[in-house]
Amino acid sequence: MLRDRFRPTALAAAAVLLLAACSGTAGEAAADAGQPVSGGSLTWGIETEPITFNPHLYAQAKARLLVANSFEGLLTHDANGGYVPLLATGYEPSADGRTYTFKLRTGATFSDGTPFDAAAVKANIDQLLTPGYAPTVAAVQLKNLTSVEVTDPATVVYHLARPDVLLLDFISSPQGAVVSPQSLTKAADLKAGGPGLAGTGPFILDRYTAGQEVHYKRNPSYWGSRPAYLDEVTYRFLKESSVRVGALTSGQVQVIEGVPATDQALITGDPRLSLTRELNSGSAYSYYLNVAHAPFDDLKVRQAFRDALDVGTVLNAVYQGTATRAWSVVGPASPLYDKSLEGSYGNNPARANQLLDEAGWTTRDADGFRTKAGKRLTVRLVQSAPFVRDRRDILAQTVQAAVKQSAGIDLAVSLVDQGTATKALADGAYEVFDNSRADTDAGAALNLLLASNGAINRTGSKDPALDKLLDAGQATADPARRKAAYAKIQQRVVAEQAIVLPLYAPNDQIAAARTVGGLSFEPTAGVPTSAYPVWVRK
Amino acid sequence: MTAVLRRLATGAVVLWAAATAAYLALLAAPGDTVDSIIGDGADTPLIRSQIVAEWGLNRPAVVQYADYLLRAAHGDLGRSYLLQRPVRDIVGEQIWPTLKLALFAALLGALLSLLLAVTTRRPWARRASSTAELVLVSTPPFLIGIILLSVFSFRFGLFPVAGDRGFAALVLPAVTLALPIAGVLTQVLRDGLDRALEEPFAVTARSRGLRESAVLLRHALRHALLPAVTLTGWLFGILLGGAVIIEQVFGRPGLGQVTLQAVNTKDMPVVLAVVVLSAAVYVVLNTAADLAYLLIDPRLRGS
Repeated sequence: MLRDRFRPTALAAAAVLLLAACSGTAGEAAADAGQPVSGGSLTWGIETEPITFNPHLYAQAKARLLVANSFEGLLTHDANGGYVPLLATGYEPSADGRTYTFKLRTGATFSDGTPFDAAAVKANIDQLLTPGYAPTVAAVQLKNLTSVEVTDPATVVYHLARPDVLLLDFISSPQGAVVSPQSLTKAADLKAGGPGLAGTGPFILDRYTAGQEVHYKRNPSYWGSRPAYLDEVTYRFLKESSVRVGALTSGQVQVIEGVPATDQALITGDPRLSLTRELNSGSAYSYYLNVAHAPFDDLKVRQAFRDALDVGTVLNAVYQGTATRAWSVVGPASPLYDKSLEGSYGNNPARANQLLDEAGWTTRDADGFRTKAGKRLTVRLVQSAPFVRDRRDILAQTVQAAVKQSAGIDLAVSLVDQGTATKALADGAYEVFDNSRADTDAGAALNLLLASNGAINRTGSKDPALDKLLDAGQATADPARRKAAYAKIQQRVVAEQAIVLPLYAPNDQIAAARTVGGLSFEPTAGVPTSAYPVWVRK
Repeated sequence: MTAVLRRLATGAVVLWAAATAAYLALLAAPGDTVDSIIGDGADTPLIRSQIVAEWGLNRPAVVQYADYLLRAAHGDLGRSYLLQRPVRDIVGEQIWPTLKLALFAALLGALLSLLLAVTTRRPWARRASSTAELVLVSTPPFLIGIILLSVFSFRFGLFPVAGDRGFAALVLPAVTLALPIAGVLTQVLRDGLDRALEEPFAVTARSRGLRESAVLLRHALRHALLPAVTLTGWLFGILLGGAVIIEQVFGRPGLGQVTLQAVNTKDMPVVLAVVVLSAAVYVVLNTAADLAYLLIDPRLRGS
């Protein structure tokens, strides 16, 4: 049985209502902006200029709001971690979980005039599997896909080698978006994307000035129940946060995203502006401890490192109360989050010191650090400068001071270039690895980070029991059983094994003039939505 | 004729040397190209092998280098690893905004320094100006930019904050870039003027009954200009380095941002193109400076 037809406008409205319900500021902003009106233009200052506008090669969560303007997939996320049809009208998994049949919407066209049909969907998958085109998607998201079959113009069947519910997450992700097959063969710079790539979305990218801005105009023949409210949207790339905030307060842009903790008072203190925040999906920003060699091969030392740290105090010092503490490797916004971890560990220097004594780190050197057989208890954290955000370098320094004071642990932090960081990882010359992932399904992030053969497994942990749990979580579509499997995983890596030390849940911020309505965050992903539901009061 | 040919040959050698030095430096930097393309994303043997195959990274470094030189000689600068576009397009579309900014800033800086050096001859004006120059030279351009933006764009709304959109948007970034240049040039010019005015020819000129301002402008200034022109190479470095920061602060397109991103991500084809381009501009500017000496100082023409 195929699922009911789901109207995307209802989805957008539900998202707005939901957000208004949980956030007072959003509600007030909507009231100021009045009822939705058509027309007008909007200028939006954004932090990140995308590396590519091709949705298949999407790799930056900060670029999601742009991708969603002009590209859509067969499904999208709802607010509860489930899936709702977008370019599909419904889907049906087979009983063994190895075949997914999608019924497609008829009557939708790409902005270059090509009709949207099953052949277009298949052309996109074929393109993704072309060697050298999107190696990450082929090797990670589509690793269990054997073939895609077109049974009629409105039906497409995905065949999998083994059950994999993350296929649905891929189909709802930017990488799973459907690009016009004509663009796939004709676009001049296919991998860079841009005006040459047509999608089915409510806006059309018509102008891109590298280093400055990207401009979208309304897609007049959008298939949805209404076209976008705005005539046009300009996204300006303003990389400096103080410049973004200044541009907003002086009225040169009407919306910005990315408001650091230090600037949030400027927004909240201005009655013309509103600020909303939303937790991201995926994995929390965490320290992953390398168990492949000493000293973190010893469970007691890992537990001691965890217990030596008062995460709450450290976060307050760095983010002035604007950060949300993470208790699990899974972000608290995820439906897979295990709430029972909250308050169950940590901030116990006495126990940390006792554990280190038991582990044999009993002596101290002249600098006050613990030693064992003449060797200092040093753990190295190597941060790659181009990927440091949210002042994570400052956070590391604060953690460094905290664990030194409470337990005599020497956290050696180095901020280096990408090449040096990769080399340190390849050589195993690190004991702490830091990371957060914005995958919409936290399970996808955990597969990469925790599985023995995971593509970003930096803990060196090869735990068959953990692999079994990860496989179970990926194979079952039943939400309760998935949640149970992932709860066990979280208990194991955070509480029992102390392989992962969660720090904070990354969030996204939108600050806007109160004349702008309909701004919200994508359900599940927790990043700003496209401009489709947005309007400007006249 | 031979002099021109010699200059061209020297220029070509400088370009080749710059490209080779940059190539070797990038080769010697930690982490290989595959690492930098993967960044902090997923990393599996399959992904690696596809990247190696796509960019031909399995060939020996010497072959890759020779291939690069050969194609560069034919005007093909390759494709950006990160941006997946031809380097020629990336550099081509970003060069004009940077050039516009650099030229305007250089002009502004030169005019301002001339004006200051000539007008602030009185002891009190000199002291005030000297202090201001020192402050400007020692303030990071980043800070100057933010202050100018806060006052003239955010508070008074006189200039737009960002982008390459017309003359108004050029003013603040160019002033930011010009102020430190003016600071240094003014000090050099003033020092040159002081020394020239103590020379016997100044005394002679005064004894002919020339007014002090005429002595200053017609005679001393020419002498003072020589050391300032020598600073052209330095000026170019400041302009390029400053562009990186100023384009970032003002959200302007340009080579500075391209360079920063390319260096951070070890995007070899783009870095090489920027290095070669900078070397080319450097050669041209130094040649122009040599010619300017001849124009300014007739005594140098004979030798």
